[in-house]
Amino acid sequence: MSARESGLGGNAQQKLLAFASLIVLVIGFSLASPNFFQVSNIMAILQATSVNGVLAVGVTLIIITGGIDLSIGTLMTFCAVMTGVVLTWLGMPLPLGVLTAVGTGALCGFVSGGLVARMKIPPFIATLGMMLVLKGLSLIVTGTKPIYFNDTPGFTTIAQGSLIGQIIPLPVPNGVLVLFIVAGVAAWILGRTVLGRYTFALGSNEEAVRLSGVNTEFWKIAIYTLAGAICGIAGLLIASRLNSAQPALGLGYELEAIAAVVIGGTSLSGGRGTILGTLIGALIMSVLTNGLRVLSVAPEWQTVVTGAIIIVAVYADQMRRRGRS
Amino acid sequence: MFTRRTLLGAVAALSLMTGATGAVAQDKLYVPLISKGFQHQFWQAVKVGADKAGAELGVEVTFEGPDNESQVDKQIDMLAAALAKKPAAIGFAALDSQAAIPLLKQAQEANIPVIAFDSGVDSDIPLATASTDNLAAAALAADKMAELIGGEGKVAVVAHDQTSRTGVDRRDGFVNRIKESHPNIEVVTIEYGGGDHLKSTEITKAILTANPDIKGIFGTNEGSAIGVVNGVKESGAKVVVVGYDSGKAQKDAIREGVMAGAITQNPVGIGYETVKAAVAAAKGETVEKNIDTGFYWYDKTNIDNPEISAVLYD
Amino acid sequence: MSELVRMEAIDKSFPGVHALKSVNFDLHSGEVHALMGENGAGKSTLMKVLSGVYEPDSGRVFVDGQEVKLPTPKAAQDLGIGIIHQELALMRDLTVAQNIWIGREPRLSFGRIDEAKLNADAAAIFASMHIRMDPRTPVEGLTIARQQMVEIAKALSYRSRVLIMDEPTAALNDAEIAELFAIIRRLKAEGVGIIYISHKMDEIKQISDRVTVMRDGAYVGTVVADETPISKIISMMVGRELKDEAVTIPDLSRAETALEVIDVSRGKELKNISFSLKKGEILGFAGLMGAGRTELARAIFGAEPIDSGEIRVHGRPVRINSPAEAVRAGIGYLSEDRKHYGLALGMDVRANIAMASLRRHSDAIGRIDEAALAKIAKDYIAKLAIRTPSDRQELRLLSGGNQQKVVIAKWLLRDCDILIFDEPTRGIDVGAKAEIYRLLNELAAQGKAIIVISSELPEVLRLSHRIAVMCEGRLTGILPGGADQEKIMALATERNGKTAA
Repeated sequence: MSARESGLGGNAQQKLLAFASLIVLVIGFSLASPNFFQVSNIMAILQATSVNGVLAVGVTLIIITGGIDLSIGTLMTFCAVMTGVVLTWLGMPLPLGVLTAVGTGALCGFVSGGLVARMKIPPFIATLGMMLVLKGLSLIVTGTKPIYFNDTPGFTTIAQGSLIGQIIPLPVPNGVLVLFIVAGVAAWILGRTVLGRYTFALGSNEEAVRLSGVNTEFWKIAIYTLAGAICGIAGLLIASRLNSAQPALGLGYELEAIAAVVIGGTSLSGGRGTILGTLIGALIMSVLTNGLRVLSVAPEWQTVVTGAIIIVAVYADQMRRRGRS
Repeated sequence: MFTRRTLLGAVAALSLMTGATGAVAQDKLYVPLISKGFQHQFWQAVKVGADKAGAELGVEVTFEGPDNESQVDKQIDMLAAALAKKPAAIGFAALDSQAAIPLLKQAQEANIPVIAFDSGVDSDIPLATASTDNLAAAALAADKMAELIGGEGKVAVVAHDQTSRTGVDRRDGFVNRIKESHPNIEVVTIEYGGGDHLKSTEITKAILTANPDIKGIFGTNEGSAIGVVNGVKESGAKVVVVGYDSGKAQKDAIREGVMAGAITQNPVGIGYETVKAAVAAAKGETVEKNIDTGFYWYDKTNIDNPEISAVLYD
Repeated sequence: MSELVRMEAIDKSFPGVHALKSVNFDLHSGEVHALMGENGAGKSTLMKVLSGVYEPDSGRVFVDGQEVKLPTPKAAQDLGIGIIHQELALMRDLTVAQNIWIGREPRLSFGRIDEAKLNADAAAIFASMHIRMDPRTPVEGLTIARQQMVEIAKALSYRSRVLIMDEPTAALNDAEIAELFAIIRRLKAEGVGIIYISHKMDEIKQISDRVTVMRDGAYVGTVVADETPISKIISMMVGRELKDEAVTIPDLSRAETALEVIDVSRGKELKNISFSLKKGEILGFAGLMGAGRTELARAIFGAEPIDSGEIRVHGRPVRINSPAEAVRAGIGYLSEDRKHYGLALGMDVRANIAMASLRRHSDAIGRIDEAALAKIAKDYIAKLAIRTPSDRQELRLLSGGNQQKVVIAKWLLRDCDILIFDEPTRGIDVGAKAEIYRLLNELAAQGKAIIVISSELPEVLRLSHRIAVMCEGRLTGILPGGADQEKIMALATERNGKTAA
């Protein structure tokens, strides 16, 4: 593995640049508005990053294999809904709800992986199908009404509480803690384990991996399952954040997550990417959204600026690659 | 990732924005409105009313909302960003009241008064709610529908969504009034098109195919109503269409006679009353708990009356 | 014979590489001028300069005695310089004629394409080449050789007077090569100048008039083909003399059988194939393109399913339904197409060597033991003399021969004792070839059972202890090592029991 393919590390120069642009955004917004660089607003930004960040980490794994997963947004919702079913409707204890979210995600990821790896349906189509199926299932299970978690004490603290705030006087929400733990584990898997190695290898040359005697179907399904489980964690976070499972939510989240991944320098054609990049990408997205709002930029223009930034970021990345090779 | 040049570009862009927003002077009261959307003409009309009140009362007003009404968490993020700006008061139309409670509590602790508008907020934190009585308005639509189809026959509802307060109230207001007061009329089906023109069009055509003898269809918001009109036009059926809200397409349909009439809320009034109440609350004055902003039935005969045309928007 | 092209003191650098060092080259009309050199010698770069892909840093190019600038491939085409790339660049789903005229389709009104004229024009070109080809055939269904004919026709359609052919015979069998040479001779007679890049010495002697040799980006010299012995050309290329060794066949009468293939069939591609392979033996597979040798290898390896038949490894019947199962049975396969099927080019040497053995070098929860792999990779780099700055070098930066060694290292690490080499030296230069041959012999001496599939008869003869010959999906015979070429060709063309002329 060359350095840029490892997990949290990666090409120092690229990461520095990405990180630098994040810092410049933060400084720029701070100078533009005194209300931006306040503890409460920074925490709001981090909180807003947590769900999209976790989703982006999950889909990073799949994109590195050269695949794509469009179902992550509605899968997240479906996991939240199933958690609601277990906790609110069946009145089970909290840990079982957490398990349900992760388990539902893993199961759906397993199905997507099977469609892609075993039945050879192109990932775009397979996960597009899953996206709609899961959206429908969420509406069916809930009868289209949100499920609230008022009967489960402590549920909202999963995303909204602050363990860190009890240790140091900085109320970092638990959702953010969860994001960093998920990212750390994913980076470790990518950089240090067989699963991670095959993730890159599949994206680099799948047929060569198969002809090396590797059971590519198994590993591909494993990666989709892992990504699904991570979506389950995102489902848990958003449910805890909203104190409810909103069945209509979810469409569009996949594109935001993919945008964060791409801004982070992961190649959509596979074989290349880092979790740290994705993390920075997700932060750039939410700093931008929040900053433009704090500056009271008209919402129409917020969308234009965000779109332009995505294009500029990917273009800059392309230029850098071309310059190097 | 970013080259130095793009970084400079970003800084330049930011400084431009700062210049543009530098007008947010500290001495002026600042009232942000977080709505449920901003792209529909309805919300734009609310914004017009809010801006009008802002100009009259000399306060800075901003207005924003998520792209569609399922984005509960996006709206929460907007509320968080609005709170960060330390406003004098906040106007808020919740997509999901429960989800917003932690932030509303935060506002309460910071002594920032909250005024709910449109469908309101399911909590006692808001000091006042400026809204249309959707149940009563939809009931009026049911009465008008009954009158237009001669008190008997089948009707259908194309609703905009099955989770939000307005969606539920308008559907129930219509259906319950039909059940209670018009026993010879049957509501054969209720379908949901998400307020999307195209989806509502397809739904309408499907309803007409399934029930060729249907006499009337009620569309519960602007997008649904226009979808119903399109669907009826495309299949060439003779059906009484009753709409909700306004907008250019709906007004044209009423003038052409394709749509029999529609309920209009007073969106301009909603925006105006919200800001007015917010400013009053910020100054420590007491405000009325429920501000009814009213609704009207309009059709070909009264569409150009000054009283009606003032609350219609294009 | 007039001078068509002259290139003077061409110099070209890329970041970190001085690719061309003041190179001279010239081409006459009606001549075949072979351009030779090991991989990385600068042949392709020089031809890219001539075909307008690269602009030289300095130096001059003359066409018909006039100095010209070739800033784009279009400019080169307009001057009548056509190039046929080694990796064919045809659109598989379009027809032959559509491929030839892509971007220059004859138009009717309203932007409609004049398909009739398109096909007729293409047919005319094939007629002038004396080739029978239906312009309406989709390219997808053509053999590599036929696709090459399409490429040549496409180049001719630009009225090319200079035709650059980059390893045109790499994927052709002998009959097809003969056909290609016939076309080249006709073009030559019409005054076309041909620049011919190849690694195959016998072809150079057959077809070319002059030979220019390059080494390390520099011009070495130009010689007349007829008057120069092959050994001289090779020594010009590698800068030293290479010895050509004859095969020595070891006594394997007491060696145990490693692999038995019994009555294996699949569809029309493989018909009732049976053979056995002993430990320490090198079994060569000869045959024409499409004889079913690669298909057989893929069937043994489980990459494609078999319809019937049995495979035994060390006497035990095994069921092989996937490459993973083949590897568990100790069978390794080195594909003919390293880049597509053998290697992850974007990953480094260490990762590629470890690719088939990660499970053995990781713990229960899947953590990879990088320290152990680093040591192993460095061992193999030394043992196989893989030329790479380090085990972290990305594979795409290695030469073809070194990439091939990495694939071999991968299978050695996996402890496979049956190794199937499909075209092990394709695209590898002469010096590295000799090293691969030496390596194969060493592996056999260590007791590995080896199958070598090669379309180059000299290679099969030089390596094989026994030679299996295939034709049209059947195994038509197994000859002892060192058998003469006529016997092999007779078996390779034996159609349903009858020998073709």
